[in-house]
Amino acid sequence: MAVATRTPFRGLVAFSLTELRVQLHESTSIVTSLIVQVVLLLFVAILARDLLPVALFGGILFSMFALGQRVQNEAAFVRIDHKLNELYLAGPLTPEAYFLGMSLGVLGAYLAPIGVLVAVTVVVAGMSATTALVLLGACAGVWMFASSFGYFVSTLFRDMRTIWPYASIFYNLFGVLPPVFYPLGFWPAPLLPVALAMPPSAAAALVQSTIGWATLSPWEVAFATTALMVEGFGMFLFTIYWARRTVREDS
Amino acid sequence: MTAEALLARGVQKTYSSRRAPTVEALAGVSLVVHPGERVALLGRNGAGKTTFLKIASTLLRPTGGTVEVFGHDVAARPDDVRPMIAVVPQEGKPFFHLTPREQVYTYLRARGYDAKEAKSRTEDALRQMGLTEVADRLSITLSGGQRQRTMVATVIATEAPLLFLDEPTIGMDPFARRAVWDSLRTLTRRGSTILLTTHYLDEAEALSQRLYIIERGRVLVDGTAASLKQEVGGSLRVSIAGGERLAEAAATFGSVLNDGETLHVITTPERLPELMGLAVREHLTATVGPVTLEEAFLRVVGRSIDTEE
Repeated sequence: MAVATRTPFRGLVAFSLTELRVQLHESTSIVTSLIVQVVLLLFVAILARDLLPVALFGGILFSMFALGQRVQNEAAFVRIDHKLNELYLAGPLTPEAYFLGMSLGVLGAYLAPIGVLVAVTVVVAGMSATTALVLLGACAGVWMFASSFGYFVSTLFRDMRTIWPYASIFYNLFGVLPPVFYPLGFWPAPLLPVALAMPPSAAAALVQSTIGWATLSPWEVAFATTALMVEGFGMFLFTIYWARRTVREDS
Repeated sequence: MTAEALLARGVQKTYSSRRAPTVEALAGVSLVVHPGERVALLGRNGAGKTTFLKIASTLLRPTGGTVEVFGHDVAARPDDVRPMIAVVPQEGKPFFHLTPREQVYTYLRARGYDAKEAKSRTEDALRQMGLTEVADRLSITLSGGQRQRTMVATVIATEAPLLFLDEPTIGMDPFARRAVWDSLRTLTRRGSTILLTTHYLDEAEALSQRLYIIERGRVLVDGTAASLKQEVGGSLRVSIAGGERLAEAAATFGSVLNDGETLHVITTPERLPELMGLAVREHLTATVGPVTLEEAFLRVVGRSIDTEE
């Protein structure tokens, strides 16, 4: 007989590596994860070549945002089809380690294609140390929000098919439509606060401001930064709470 | 751990929804599982077995009553209970993109075993479940039975103090089922306790030291397979196809059950020739066999275990 002990985030590293292995076995998904970004970049390269640097940085941020959709699909599939959440959660692995481990595993698996995109951006657009730091912070905020939100959404459905349309609407509405791939200046001025409040476009605005493609007042920079941090950390903390609460399927 | 492995008192579970009628899944289930025992919950589909198992394994909240695992209340202190349990979920599947070896090993690592111990336990569990030859194939390429064996291997490798197995051998061939039974017997010899649900009567009989028959959210009876069979009232079952018209006469030979097509008479070896003679005179086919748990189940529940709610 073996009794395990249980502490917060116990099993996090091991479960992250489990999820990483799962994802790495799905190499096709990893290889094809840049399709939307590449298609949009091609459009930009053909139609407005001078906007390519903006679109490249946007592509990196969109890639981080799209990880949320992958977490959402994985968490839903594992729960609804495999019922593996029951195997893992009725045991020493904590709910927070389960959620975060899944998110980190997905992140780890998709770092390679995102790295390729970063490399292309460096070659095509160049990247100063300041820009790199801002990009890193923006990516962290977007990832934290998107992965947490994806996990949260995954718990709301009982059938995989009903999730897909919502996922598509959400990721196009928040990732493609707002000024992520194109300059903030093209976005209607009265709706600027909306763009600065949504995590992907807030992150894009901060990066565009750093590389000189958007002119933001100090107040607008503060607003976008605060929005990204509050939404990223807020969603993360809420999802930690939610993951614990939804261990019981009737909670 | 001196307390009972599992102690349930008056467990109730009602599902309420605005969109669907209220369902009373459990209506006051009380049962006990002693440390080191193998106990089966036997019942038809929808009887409440899985609901009970989910409550006991901290995955559902009871509407009423209490369940304690080694003295810890599963509703009030789930974090104390979870390290002591391991669960094979009903219709659970391993990660499709992990091999059985990876599935078992990574699960043990996530439970806190060091690499060496996890590796050793993994190989042992794979061997016990007859998975060695397919241990490095992705689970998506395995048969349903092999996937189920992977799930069982994952859980038995933990040797957790209390194991819950919800229909553990579903989809397995007879050899694999026996391998699972052997492994579970070994586990209890080593000190683990097992509560399993099944609707395979032979599994309940072969594997469990005690069993509870559940019907419509209630425990109807509990005991050993032998004691339940004894209560049927005879050692032989005579099944007379199309023998409904003989029901009255057959009742003088022992207890009679009619499933609509066949008349089943539980009788003693002494009365057998006379009863067979009755069937022959009516030109009906009669078969004789020993009383099994099926008759005990029929007597208690009034319906075959295979009939749907």
